[in-house]
Amino acid sequence: MKLTLEAIRACLDGGLPSVVATCAPDGTPNVAYASQVHYVDGEHVALSFQFFSKTRENVLAYPYAQVQVIEPASFRHFRLRVRYLRTETAGPLFEYMKAQLAGIATHSGMDKVFVLRGADIYRVLDIECADPHVPAAAPPPDALIALRRTLDHLGACDDLAQLADRALAALSYGFGIRHALLALLDTQPDNAGPGKTGPADGALYTLASLGYPTSGVGAEVALGEGLIGVAARERMPVRINHRTGDYTYQAALRVADAAAARIPLPVLADAHSQIAVPLVHGARLFGVLYAESEQDAFFGHADEDALVVYGRHVGALMARLAALPDDETAVPAPAVRAPRGTPLAVRYFAHDHSVFVDNDYLIKGVAGSILWTLLNEHAANGRRDFCNRELRRDPRLPLPDFGDNLETRLILLQRRLAERCPQIALEKTGRGRFRLDVTRPLALSTN
Amino acid sequence: MPLTLTPDQAAFLQGTLSMNVGAVGRDGWPCVTRAQGISVARDRRSLTVLLSAARGQAVLDALAAGSGITLVASRPLTHATLQLKAARTGRVPVTAALRATSARCVAAFGAELASLGYGDAVTALAAILSTDTLAALRIVPDIVFDQTPGPQAGTVLARA
Repeated sequence: MKLTLEAIRACLDGGLPSVVATCAPDGTPNVAYASQVHYVDGEHVALSFQFFSKTRENVLAYPYAQVQVIEPASFRHFRLRVRYLRTETAGPLFEYMKAQLAGIATHSGMDKVFVLRGADIYRVLDIECADPHVPAAAPPPDALIALRRTLDHLGACDDLAQLADRALAALSYGFGIRHALLALLDTQPDNAGPGKTGPADGALYTLASLGYPTSGVGAEVALGEGLIGVAARERMPVRINHRTGDYTYQAALRVADAAAARIPLPVLADAHSQIAVPLVHGARLFGVLYAESEQDAFFGHADEDALVVYGRHVGALMARLAALPDDETAVPAPAVRAPRGTPLAVRYFAHDHSVFVDNDYLIKGVAGSILWTLLNEHAANGRRDFCNRELRRDPRLPLPDFGDNLETRLILLQRRLAERCPQIALEKTGRGRFRLDVTRPLALSTN
Repeated sequence: MPLTLTPDQAAFLQGTLSMNVGAVGRDGWPCVTRAQGISVARDRRSLTVLLSAARGQAVLDALAAGSGITLVASRPLTHATLQLKAARTGRVPVTAALRATSARCVAAFGAELASLGYGDAVTALAAILSTDTLAALRIVPDIVFDQTPGPQAGTVLARA
């Protein structure tokens, strides 16, 4: 039976070093180690181009090479006859390999040495097993069964908050994932709209998390930064199989404005495996599902495939929920007691719409602006019941005309308040409707 | 003037290593196979490389057809790597001493991999790199390179 690249994907995760044999124009052979042999598709692999080496000099002159890769669990060796096609120095494949190389570099103690200059793409012409008498490694857990189990636990969801929580909880049943988060894209007004499939810049905000001491709700990730930001910007999955010392991919992912008040991401300080998959439906990107583990090589190729499908399913559910009409009426309001106690000092900073309560940072951006608007309405005329439709029309709020993610921002705000300022609460009273509950007097001020 | 390996290079080549040899076939295709032992001659001007004749048939065929040879040897723990090239090589008989050298090298390589987290390496490598079909190649290196990963990789250390 002819060997396929799919059948040997376990060899292409950077676990054990591969070697590449090339030929100089004068016929002299060359053998060198390859840090990374990356599965591109069923017919292509990409080798990391890090230095101007003899290997590179040779393939540019004579494009035929043989690559030897090893299956980590069995140590079977496979030899691939390949032909060099081209080098990519930007784009999704390059970014994926750059992230993976960061993990491989740390795993092999080469943090300061491995820097990706390009992804050299090769067509695979033939695959040979050098050890046909050696039993194959035991197959990994069936990712399709894991996906099915995950979807069974996800079930149907009525609103975005429920979907976010259940989408994460279901992962533990299906894939055994213990640490994960959902970060949703904050669409920028200038870049959203019909015909524009996504922002050139912007940020993602953590809406829900699983398995961390703090929820990190509201934590921000700049588009293109860290594993989550790269997965969002490139709209592709990114998986790292080893702990990385590269700060770019570490827990302390950079935020859009490093000087601003921020909520830390709740990720593991010492993750050994990480994966980020985009949540997409059609051309629309909703956000990123990020999962991690303390174990090396926790996520295999098949897990990546399955989680990509899961990301699309969750994206489709988000699109369906976003398209549902708002309820016409809210559930009746119960009688409330007048706010009592010491007034809460709520201060608003207009330049970034940040809100501080008793000098503690609460939230910023559009969510901060929404909160400030609601509190002022409440202070002016005692209003408690609001609907999404009126917020969308409110000129005080910096919402884009299209794809405003208002529901996401309200959930974010609701959860942030529940964690940091339970004296102010947002309660859902129907689809597209919510109620403001305030149990302490408020002292509002602006800066 | 023939190249003489330094004592450090000779010691390195007989240490705990992952090693591969490459050649170019008559059809122009480069080929590579894992080697499983090195014995450096007492005068340090030649070395004998051991490999499985069954696994390395393409390389042996290429060498028999006149290809030059490249040997790359790397210490898994440190990534320190040497590359040696020679225009010609010749098969030599596999002695009991060479067979013992191969067994020692494979065991050391497996143990090092196991220490790096590949727990099954010792058993697996013993099955994959058996000494049943060993071939021995005598190499008189023309040139020695430092191939330790990094921008200095490719630096010539010695030339005949």
